[in-house]
Amino acid sequence: MLSKEVAPKCIFGAMTFVARCHSGDSCGSNGLPLTPNSISILGQAQFLKTLDHPHLVKLLGVTRGKHERTIVVSEYFHQTLSDQGKLSLEDIVKFMRQILSALQYLHEKSIVTRCLAPDNILITDDGDIKLFNFGLYYMTHGGKSVSFPIGSPKYMAPEVFLHARSAEYTSGVKVDIWSLGIIAAELLLSKSLWDGVQLTQILRKVLSLVNCNAIFARLARECNKFDVYENIPPEIVDFVNQCLKISVHERPMASQLLEHPVFKIYPKKESIIEKVHCLNMVQERKHPLDERDLNEIYYLWQLSGGDVEGELKRRGLIKNKPPILCLPQIVLLEGQILGGEQDQSSMLDLRVAALSLNTLVQRLEPLPLTVYYPLIESSLQLTYASHVESDAAPLPLIIREKDIEYQFLRIMLMKRLIDAYPLKKSELIKEACKDIPPLYRGVIWAIILNVIGDVESVYTEIDKETVTPTDRQIEVDIPRCHQYNELLSSKEGHLKLKRVLKAWVISHPEYVYWQGLDSLAAPFVYLNFSNESVAHACLSAFILKYLYNLFLKDNSEIIREYLAKFSHLISFQDPVLANHLDEIKFIPELFAIPWFLTMFSHVFPLHKILHLWDKLLLGDASFPLFIGLAILQQLRDTLLSSGFNECILLFSDLPEIDMERCVADSMEPYCTTPKSITFRQHEYTHQQSIKQRKNTSPLEMSGLSYTELQAEFCPRISAADLLDLMHHSPQRVLMVDIRPQYEFVEEAAPGSINIPFGTIDFGGANSDSSPLPPSPELSILYNNKGKVVIIIGEEAASAAKVGRLLVKLNFPKVCSLHGGISVLRLCHILVPSIT
Amino acid sequence: MASRGTVQRPNGQTQGKICQFKLVLLGESAVGKSSLVLRFVKGQFHEYQESTIGAAFLTQTVCLEDMTVKFEIWDTAGQERYHSLAPMYYRGAQAAIVVYDITNQDTFNRAKTWVKELQRQASPNIVIALVGNKADLVSKRSVECQEAQSYAEEHGLLFNETSAKTAVNVNDVFLAIAKKLPKNENRTGPGSSGQGIVVSDSNNKPPSRCCK
Repeated sequence: MLSKEVAPKCIFGAMTFVARCHSGDSCGSNGLPLTPNSISILGQAQFLKTLDHPHLVKLLGVTRGKHERTIVVSEYFHQTLSDQGKLSLEDIVKFMRQILSALQYLHEKSIVTRCLAPDNILITDDGDIKLFNFGLYYMTHGGKSVSFPIGSPKYMAPEVFLHARSAEYTSGVKVDIWSLGIIAAELLLSKSLWDGVQLTQILRKVLSLVNCNAIFARLARECNKFDVYENIPPEIVDFVNQCLKISVHERPMASQLLEHPVFKIYPKKESIIEKVHCLNMVQERKHPLDERDLNEIYYLWQLSGGDVEGELKRRGLIKNKPPILCLPQIVLLEGQILGGEQDQSSMLDLRVAALSLNTLVQRLEPLPLTVYYPLIESSLQLTYASHVESDAAPLPLIIREKDIEYQFLRIMLMKRLIDAYPLKKSELIKEACKDIPPLYRGVIWAIILNVIGDVESVYTEIDKETVTPTDRQIEVDIPRCHQYNELLSSKEGHLKLKRVLKAWVISHPEYVYWQGLDSLAAPFVYLNFSNESVAHACLSAFILKYLYNLFLKDNSEIIREYLAKFSHLISFQDPVLANHLDEIKFIPELFAIPWFLTMFSHVFPLHKILHLWDKLLLGDASFPLFIGLAILQQLRDTLLSSGFNECILLFSDLPEIDMERCVADSMEPYCTTPKSITFRQHEYTHQQSIKQRKNTSPLEMSGLSYTELQAEFCPRISAADLLDLMHHSPQRVLMVDIRPQYEFVEEAAPGSINIPFGTIDFGGANSDSSPLPPSPELSILYNNKGKVVIIIGEEAASAAKVGRLLVKLNFPKVCSLHGGISVLRLCHILVPSIT
Repeated sequence: MASRGTVQRPNGQTQGKICQFKLVLLGESAVGKSSLVLRFVKGQFHEYQESTIGAAFLTQTVCLEDMTVKFEIWDTAGQERYHSLAPMYYRGAQAAIVVYDITNQDTFNRAKTWVKELQRQASPNIVIALVGNKADLVSKRSVECQEAQSYAEEHGLLFNETSAKTAVNVNDVFLAIAKKLPKNENRTGPGSSGQGIVVSDSNNKPPSRCCK
């Protein structure tokens, strides 16, 4: 257990603002309502979460509250640059270097902070800089999604004021350099400029600098610090003046400024200091949470009950106006609203609420320290399996996903295994069979789908911009694709989904875009929102594995085989249901195309797809058929008591399906159904095995024509699977030989029974008299109901006919032997039978 | 506009004759086929109606003065690629609604090809209605009402402009089809649990013509 004195160092800071509301119920050009600005902000902000720089705070979460409110949570430190007293020249130069390195990093990514100011520059416990709130201008689309101005006037570059009236103006990266110049001047003079001066006066003062040559000197004179100015080394004065160049063109970039002589005069003193620092760290006891990734801590903190919005309300950062006060005073018939708008000035609140990790620390306190470091390798075979198990383990998945202790243990373990990838791939997959922690779902899916190599450059090279004839279809589909999801409904989400789809179409010239592909791509884009290349690679791998050739321009052959196999599987596993569906002519063509063409992603909401695919990905290409079966079985009672219309209505508006049950229900038949039963000739196999297949052994399954598939009601089994069953579990199988008795006596499969085809009365299937003649064999057949019944004949048609009859008599697991008796002859297993 | 009356469950003889018809919706994707059906059957409208893959099936009953007409509605996928599936749905259909989007000329051209295909390949007596949807987006109109109207007259089609969003003319289309369908040759369907809407001539104006 951890001693209570050691607390984690990191804290979170939350700030909040309100996005601009669209007036009235205005629609976009496609007739759809405009996306709320808070959603656009959410989509845009996702990229900021991927930023990683030593002098930027880590952005952890962006969430939406009521009434277009946006809440931003990031790493936080209590000290800001404004709290510092007089600083030494060395410190000032060090800070400038660190700020510039952060700006260089941001500017390379075309991110302008627009609000660089001492309040937004935090100082870490180690005395280093971390820029805070640097993403506000970027996430609000250059301020267009909010109705307040961004940036503190005092630090604002003059060109911002000059262009203030133009709605089109967006600031370039050099406004940040100006702000840095003012900050530097203030630090060097150790005096806050224009203290107590009114806003309009500040504007005038900044603009008056436009006609001035030596700006730093002028600023020093203005605040009566010219004596201090005169003692500042000339290199530093030059540095400040460079930053404060009026002409945007002449003002240098962050990268150029980092080359300024001032940084050579005061070089980094990292080497010694950092070593000393390291030594100190060894002695100092750290909370193990401090070693974890901040995203992980934030995720766990939320699970432990951390509630940002609640905390902001408690501290008065969110004050809800009573709705009655928000009502408009006048509404014109054209929809224009007057009065009653939200108070504009209260929309940007610069206050930051610091959030401590107490709730999380308390919840994790009872756990031993070892859980932070799960062993995944041990010579004693004492592997992680013997580790602490949460009490939540036997609970349903949706509860486990919200259980802090359970998720904590899963995350610690999974992260270890992910870090050890590819070495620990098999262990990772074994663990994924239990469940996949949502925090790492994106990575784990990519690993399961074998997404490896430099997917980034592959994706970059694909042309996603050139207009293609497919674009219109993609464009009309995307605004309808899982739009209840905030990320997918944001502008950024639409763009990403479009790019990923276009990239997929272009990188797979043999395929075309079918409606439904949008839904198929959506889960991957959602999970890898800031990593399109991984989303694209996952989509490609997923389609190759589960939907091979289904997106050909003409996919009719493939889809027909798929659906025929689905019918066969239903009759194999559930003859009663199969008979009923056949009777009312409720064929899979009418309801199952969207199921299999989109792997259920067009049928279920996103949160269900995630749980479904968590398991689907672990199975092979035939697994989806079993999921389809499990869905039918979950609705079995309704289906059995309904006619055609009721059935199809049921599927047009699919009722709530319990996903965990569905997945569990599909496992048992998946594991016990011989592989050849669900064999599809259009399934993807590796190139080599395709060659092998051309001269496949007759013992293996081979492709059947659609007419054959459709003519047969029950599936075929391969001789290889039959031999396997006979060898490993003879008690599970019953072979029915339908050849004439004299042939059967001569040679037959050992253990098989003989019900000659000629003795069966096919007309009587529906009458009271049994179609099968009474005989000792018949009672054997009935006594073995439930076993895999394999019908062996001379030719396929008669075996199929007998199979159909047995299914009609509600025999489960009926199949006919592919290749008939002759294939068994090849195996030399036939023996003369004694009757 | 057709008024929404009390919900009636047609049950056998008491309602007089019940006729069951198969109706199929065809048209380019995103013109609002599913939205029209949803408006007609459930009185709802979803801004982000998801795309239809394969086809969807719904039923709705319309009560005329002397009989009940039950529509079995097949709502098809709009994308050209799903074209090969379409015959499966329009085969044996007694009525078809071919939908286009009044803000998009291409969808109107596509509607014309659907009409041709139906007249060539569907049952000879099929009642076809041409419907220009999204009539609420008048400011973005690119298919003139007059143009579509004269095309419809030329080819013997029912015609109306609708808005699934505002419900304008939606029920009228189905009602006009119900009236035009020949009632003698149809099988009488069993009672259904589907909700019916009572539409009678007395409280219903003739289908409004947008051009007049």
